[in-house]
Amino acid sequence: MLPQEQDRFLPIVNVSHIMKKVMPANAKILKYFINFITGEASNKCQREKRKTINGDDLLWVMTTLGFEDYVEPLKGYL
Amino acid sequence: MVMADEEENGVSIQLEFPKGRVKKIMALDKDVKRVSSEALFLVSRSTELFLQFLAEKSAQVAIEKKRKTVNLEHIRVAVKRHQPTRDFLLDELPPPSQAAKPDKPTQPAGRPKLDPAPRGTRCIDQFFRKPEPENTAQAPGQPPENPAQAQSPENPDQDQAQSPVPVDES
Repeated sequence: MLPQEQDRFLPIVNVSHIMKKVMPANAKILKYFINFITGEASNKCQREKRKTINGDDLLWVMTTLGFEDYVEPLKGYL
Repeated sequence: MVMADEEENGVSIQLEFPKGRVKKIMALDKDVKRVSSEALFLVSRSTELFLQFLAEKSAQVAIEKKRKTVNLEHIRVAVKRHQPTRDFLLDELPPPSQAAKPDKPTQPAGRPKLDPAPRGTRCIDQFFRKPEPENTAQAPGQPPENPAQAQSPENPDQDQAQSPVPVDES
């Protein structure tokens, strides 16, 4: 009998149970990340006297703040 | 905060995080006026990439420390190792004293934990117990064959202490 696709992986419930132990910390961390990125993009818009944050602002911010590794994958989605 | 450019430009990629929640977090900054849908998408996607990066690095730390479960201390080490992340995140993590939970329950405050007594000392309770009858195989009245055996095992150096030490009087 051939094993089913899901039988070759760990049960998702068990994986998520372990991850949930760390989740409260992770959820806060992600909030700080979003605030950090958005705040810098907002500052850029204020300097350039614009009201709307756009994709280019975020890509520029990520490059400036040291997250340039994310820029190429993100450009593929635009 | 008003959403601008609501159309998705044909992008139909499923995001892991709810758009509304990401938008609310972005709106916490009072300076943020408007955010394009493209920007919202990029923030959400970059947050996923960041979480993926952090999970990988934290898991790496856990493996190095021979642990099977990633905990906050592993995340802290992973954050310290990446300069851009350290710059904005290290101060936001709870301090180690709060994060580290003791494995054993703490003792009540009334009885502080004492150091173990030195070897050979007896507990005070022994003074108030009746001495147990000694089961000696020797007949009463006979002296022991080896005088060294007659001494208490607690003080084996007793004979050396009692015997006079020869002194040169030259």
